[in-house]
Amino acid sequence: MDSPSATPRFGPEVFLRVLLVMALLVGFLVAIQCMGGSIKLMGKETSESLFRGVSNPFAGLAVGILATVLVQSSSTTTSMIVALVGSGEISVESAVPMIMGANIGTTITNTLVSVGHVRQSAAFRRAFAAATVHDFFNLICVAVFLPLELLTGFLSKPALYLTEVLAGAPGAEYKSPIKGAVKSAYKSILHGLENLGLEGTPLALCMLTLGIGMTFFCLIFITKNMRTLIVGPLEQAMNNSLRRSGMIGIVVGAAVTVAVQSSSITTSLLVPLCAAGILSLENAFPIMLGANIGTTVTALLASTAVDSSAGLTIALVHALFNVAGTVCIYPFRAVRRVPLALARNLAIAASRNPVYVLFYVLGAFVGVPLVGIWITNLFQ
Amino acid sequence: MMRWLQSLGPESRSLNEIHSQFLEMMVDGRHVFDAAANALLGGTAPEVIRDDLFATDRRINRTEQAIRREIVVHGSIYGAATFPALLVMMSLVKDAERIGDYAKNLYGLAAARPPLGGDAERKAMIDLKDRVSKLIVRAHGLFESQNDSDARAFLEEVHQIEGECDAQVDLGLHARKDNASARVLAHRYFKRVTSHTGNIVSSLVVPLDKLDYFDEPRPKGS
Repeated sequence: MDSPSATPRFGPEVFLRVLLVMALLVGFLVAIQCMGGSIKLMGKETSESLFRGVSNPFAGLAVGILATVLVQSSSTTTSMIVALVGSGEISVESAVPMIMGANIGTTITNTLVSVGHVRQSAAFRRAFAAATVHDFFNLICVAVFLPLELLTGFLSKPALYLTEVLAGAPGAEYKSPIKGAVKSAYKSILHGLENLGLEGTPLALCMLTLGIGMTFFCLIFITKNMRTLIVGPLEQAMNNSLRRSGMIGIVVGAAVTVAVQSSSITTSLLVPLCAAGILSLENAFPIMLGANIGTTVTALLASTAVDSSAGLTIALVHALFNVAGTVCIYPFRAVRRVPLALARNLAIAASRNPVYVLFYVLGAFVGVPLVGIWITNLFQ
Repeated sequence: MMRWLQSLGPESRSLNEIHSQFLEMMVDGRHVFDAAANALLGGTAPEVIRDDLFATDRRINRTEQAIRREIVVHGSIYGAATFPALLVMMSLVKDAERIGDYAKNLYGLAAARPPLGGDAERKAMIDLKDRVSKLIVRAHGLFESQNDSDARAFLEEVHQIEGECDAQVDLGLHARKDNASARVLAHRYFKRVTSHTGNIVSSLVVPLDKLDYFDEPRPKGS
């Protein structure tokens, strides 16, 4: 993890960093346009064959998990999903499980951070419990909400309604205020590549690579710069959260994650604090839930750059999913205890025999998605 | 070393907070030392100062724990580059906390109302107590001013007082006429308070690995 220097005082450095973050945000939106545009450039036949598999919810979930595990950033995955939905290549219904999968996949970062404490049994037990409580929360949410969503559309229906309120009729071209600028930047890139003699599938692939690369680059540097800008308040917030639980933790987690545009940064900070024993699992849990909510802002931002309002719908589904999970699980002590107890018990087993860590990581983040894809293929 | 700690960022509110909390620990340390030493040598009834002394010591302990928590948070956020400076601070708060512990030991001695020898011995101990108390005040000032050359002069005086305490302990151990056990213990405690105060100031002039070992003889040519 990068070490930010001390909080800079307001001056030229802060001013330049703020400008840089704004430029990176525009770059990020252009990257989303590039990804969406590249799929269109591939042609209907190619893109349909690419995304046929994800129409199965389990396969979609598996793709979401695997993609996030591979890129180690749910922001990148959800932004890509928004781009795909916004370009009309996959439907909101198909994208919902992928978004849920991204939520599960992102928690692997904490788990890997916690493994750093494996030599000290007690510290590792606390660290691993802190890392996996986030996993269990997301797994429980998916286990409950995915079937419910498939049966009733309890997330996508309100998301559609909100989209109508915010952007007009479903499927309508969504006119966001900054889209004009983003679109013209995208067109310049497209013309530039065409002038190089690229066309058809090579042009689409080039655009897709550029889009993914730019998304990575922009998100990494937004996170890096924002972390430097807010490191003082971040430290203050963490110090204030150590002895508090509940709403304050949720607000701190959400605010920090919105600011740094990475839930992994927020949740990974908690792991060493829990390992040292200065932050209890009960007090870390609401901060993680806040981070889960805060991270949905990235997809909402990405939705401002896509052509169709469906992009906004899927971003809203992501936000509603994480808010619903928090509202349904956190306020009720008996329910809240379930992910905490599961994480504690797994941590106890893992501290006795670290092989459990390997089984758990491979099983939850690789095995389950692969088995899901295999079963899906079997029935297709 | 402490300059380095400060150079990490005067803008860091938490580091400044840690710094001022540490200075509060030193003020409390001097307060409990004075109270306990006066109970032993100055005629203050131990039971009069008991509650205040123990409450202040608990405050010192709580401050140490708060600083430790803030150190872990700071290290987690700022990363590896800050660890050496935070390790120094972790060591210093332990020294400041130990001053409180030795003050409690002095109080325990005072509560037993032991014989401390004649007027001459008592007067010498009062002088020594005053010098140690002033050392703690000077250490507080040096920690704020970060003055290297004053720190070196300070450490010379620390060596001197430690030597005097050792000599008194030796004398007491071999005393044949009177019971010198209380004097031996008191000088031992004075020496420990002096050493912990010296450790705090040594952080201004010695590297991290030499903290607590500033008084060891150095090899020739170094």
